[in-house]
Amino acid sequence: MTSWTGWSVIEAASQLLPPHDREAVLGDLAETDESLRKMLAQLFGLAARRHLALWTNWQPWLAAFGLALPTSFLLMGASVSISSTVQQTLSHPSPAHHAFRTFISAGLLLVSWSWTAGFVVSFLSRSTLWISGISCLIPCLFCLSRFHMESLPSLSLFVFLLPALLGVWQGIRAMPVSLGFAVILASAVTTLVIFTSTREFWLCDAALTWPAWYLVAVALWKVTKEEKRLIA
Amino acid sequence: MLGEFEYLLITVAAALEDRAYGAAIREEIESATGRKCSIGALYTTIDRLETKGLVKTWMGEATPQRGGRAKRMVRVTPKGVQAAKAFYDTVIGVSRGASWATNRTRTTV
Repeated sequence: MTSWTGWSVIEAASQLLPPHDREAVLGDLAETDESLRKMLAQLFGLAARRHLALWTNWQPWLAAFGLALPTSFLLMGASVSISSTVQQTLSHPSPAHHAFRTFISAGLLLVSWSWTAGFVVSFLSRSTLWISGISCLIPCLFCLSRFHMESLPSLSLFVFLLPALLGVWQGIRAMPVSLGFAVILASAVTTLVIFTSTREFWLCDAALTWPAWYLVAVALWKVTKEEKRLIA
Repeated sequence: MLGEFEYLLITVAAALEDRAYGAAIREEIESATGRKCSIGALYTTIDRLETKGLVKTWMGEATPQRGGRAKRMVRVTPKGVQAAKAFYDTVIGVSRGASWATNRTRTTV
C-alpha cells in the first residue's frame, strides 16, 4: 500500500506524461501492489518512451538543431550590432533622420527575426520545447563567457530574447497566423534584409529570414487544405 | 506482420473481451509469459496497434479501486483479428518440422 506522500510523488511524476495517458496509467498503478520505486520506474519508463517517440519525426530536430541552436548565435550577433549602432549614434550624433532610420530598420529586423524564430520553434514542436530551450541556452552561455567589449555591457547579447520569448509564448498558445499576415511579415523582413544587409553578412541575414517564409508556406498549406475540404 | 508482443497483446485483449484494459491486459500477459510487462511497453504498443487500426481504445468507467480514475479500454478490430490469425498461421506453419512442436508432420529417424 503506497502512502499519501508516495502517491503525491507519483502524481507529480505523472506530469511528465501527456494528459490522455495520465488518467489511465495512474489508475493502473493504483490497482497494482508494486513498491513506490517500481511505480516510479514504470512512469519514467513510459515518459521516456513517449519522449523518444517524438524524435522519430523531423520537426523536433529542425526546431532544436536547425533553428534554435544556429539562430541563437546569429541573433546574438545582430543584438550586439544593434546595441553598438545605438551607442555610436548616441555618442557621435549624426543627422537625426539618419540615426532614426538606422535604428528603426535594424530594430525592426531584429524584432521580426527573433519573433518568427521563437514562434516557429514552438510551432514546430511544442512537446520538445525544453530541448530547443537548451539548444538556445548553450550558445548564450558560450558567448556570454567570451564576451569582452568594454564599450558594451554583456546584456547587449540578449536584446533578441524578449521578442523571441514572445514568439515562443504565442507559438505555444497556437496563435493562428493568417496568410496575409505571414506574407506581409516575410516580405517586410526580406525587403529590410535586401536594403540593409552588408556583403559579408548577407548569408547570415538570409539564414535568419527562412522562418518567416516557413510561416508563409504553413499558412498557404492551411488555406489550400481548407479549400479542398470545402470543395469535397 | 505483427511482432511477438503485438500478437500477445491482441490475443489477450480478444480473450478478455469487455474487460480488456491496461492493467488487466498487463496482468494476463505477465501470467501467460512469466515475464514482467512494463507499462511503457504496453501503452506504446497499444498506441502503435491503434495507429495501424488493429485495436480501438476509449476511456471507460472509473472505479473506486483505481482511485476514481478511468480505464483505457481496448477492443480488437476485425483487421486486428485478421492480423493475429495471419501471425498464428505463420508460426504454426513454420513450426511443423520443429523438434519441439507437438504435432510434427516430419519425424527424424
